[in-house]
Amino acid sequence: MVRTRFAAAGMLAALLLAPAVQAQQAPAAAPAPAWASGREGSGMAPNLAPHAPRLTVTPRDQLPLSSIRLPQGFTAEIYAHGIPGARMMAEGPNGTIFAGSRTIGRVYAITRNADGTTRTRTLLQGLTQPNGLAVLDGNLYVVAINRVLRFDNIEQNLDNPGSGTDLTAAFDLPTEEHHGWKFVTTGPDGRLYMNVGVPCNICDFDRDRFALLVSFRPDGSDRRIEARGIRNSVGMALHPQTRELWATNNGRDWAGNDLPNDTLHRIRRSGEDHGFPYCVGDWADPGAPAQRNCSEFEQPAAMLGPHTAALGMRFYTGTMFPEAYRNQIFIARRGSWNREQLSGFDVVVAKLDGEGRVTAVEPFLQGLRDDANQRFLGRPVDVHVLGDGSLLVAEEQYGAIYRITYRQ
Amino acid sequence: MILLRIALPAVVLAAATFTPPALSPAVAQDAARGAAIAAERNCASCHGAAGVSELANIPSLAGQPAEFITLQMILFREGLRQAAPMNELSQGLEDQAVEDLAAHYASLRAVAPPDLAPRDAALAERGRALSTALNCGVCHLPDYSGRNQIPRIAGQREDFLRHTLAQYRDSQRRGTDTNMNAVMYGVSDDAIAALAHHLAHQPARPE
Repeated sequence: MVRTRFAAAGMLAALLLAPAVQAQQAPAAAPAPAWASGREGSGMAPNLAPHAPRLTVTPRDQLPLSSIRLPQGFTAEIYAHGIPGARMMAEGPNGTIFAGSRTIGRVYAITRNADGTTRTRTLLQGLTQPNGLAVLDGNLYVVAINRVLRFDNIEQNLDNPGSGTDLTAAFDLPTEEHHGWKFVTTGPDGRLYMNVGVPCNICDFDRDRFALLVSFRPDGSDRRIEARGIRNSVGMALHPQTRELWATNNGRDWAGNDLPNDTLHRIRRSGEDHGFPYCVGDWADPGAPAQRNCSEFEQPAAMLGPHTAALGMRFYTGTMFPEAYRNQIFIARRGSWNREQLSGFDVVVAKLDGEGRVTAVEPFLQGLRDDANQRFLGRPVDVHVLGDGSLLVAEEQYGAIYRITYRQ
Repeated sequence: MILLRIALPAVVLAAATFTPPALSPAVAQDAARGAAIAAERNCASCHGAAGVSELANIPSLAGQPAEFITLQMILFREGLRQAAPMNELSQGLEDQAVEDLAAHYASLRAVAPPDLAPRDAALAERGRALSTALNCGVCHLPDYSGRNQIPRIAGQREDFLRHTLAQYRDSQRRGTDTNMNAVMYGVSDDAIAALAHHLAHQPARPE
């Protein structure tokens, strides 16, 4: 009996399992790494793998500033550098820019000197992927994987932030590491909005726990599901006029070079179902645990390209840029790994009409993807509109923040 | 069907010859400066005079990809990977010093440790089959020489490989991502011993 079961489970299980384990439990093949699940049979080059992060300081003169291309009238400058792995940004009332990270476990604080230059501090370190940041009433919220910390009056304590108030138990987020990093933003209702990603590439999972957008009161109470069936959103913002929640989403891997698209979602009502793992738009995923009619689900507001890793997004609320950009959405696309030809590595603009329909997705910041050599020079991960209307772009690979200005 | 079988390896081959997609800036990594730092910090007392460890459970560093050493040193320094005494020993090393150290060890010639145990053909064969099943060569490359953040494992100390693979399995060690933890999930001690034996006996410098 045991022998038969092992034959069925395959050579791998038979090789791996120790006799003691064999006697105690039914064999189970080791699960594929979360990022690699679904790879078998995809027909895609099997050596595609996530790109390594750089965790050391890149000197200013080696940043790819001169490669950046922007529409006529726009200029890029280096706002901050020497901040390895810098990702999602949040701004304090006095103008401090906070930047989270993943692998390197740090939160940076960037302040402006009187002469316009910036000073960077490593505010916190040793955290597990502190990617989600928000500032509410002068307090900094740091959401790492399964850890929520609040640092009161943070801008008065940049040199000595302390260990913060631990709100982990109140938020009670899942502990899964894969897709467990967070994006956090605040709403005009004083709530904190964030994602709960799915802990796999595609799998059967609890749709009330994962692949969600959720909101909380700042103390972690009153959890509300804003949207379900959104695989892993690492960027969201509330529309400045309609107050509807919008979010980017990362499509799954190993379905093909051009399938599926990353997506932009408009959440008209709390609790809407956007279809993961069953559908992306009208594409029913053949790898889903069940086949469903895609018309059951909310449709994406826009397609953002296959494997582009559309992450941080913000509505443009400033006045420096031309009027055509007002209330349009800037989206940072970190760039692909699960595609034989690179895609993304840029910032795009989703153009909305008066009804909130996306009429076009246009390039904005380009030049970091070298198609001829299949290399990239940077990975934009977040955008942030400063009070003067300029736009910050966080670049993770070489640890820098660029500032985009416009002059007619 | 035949076409598909031919086309697939062709894609693999083409992809494998691409240069890594990240464009590394011309960082002034200086192996000579790194050698001086290694001497000053007495790295050789554990990792060996030429980066080839003669101590149980201490890894050889000679010929490791510079990016791998750099990333691990940062994880030690930042307290993100716990591995006494490296957390303490890495304090005070600036990023430039870390990159210099990495350049130094990457420049050294990888060789097997002098106390390598004799090869057990049956154990090595079991390890080879396991390595194929677990796709070790996809990331570590078919000759196990490593690339980017992925270490060289050919000719690494057998006892260290056993130790570190068990640590991955038991979630006591992380890399820059959680890939190795997932790969080693549920792998038994004796399977780990076979893998370690196979890898330790791979030529450190394939012809």
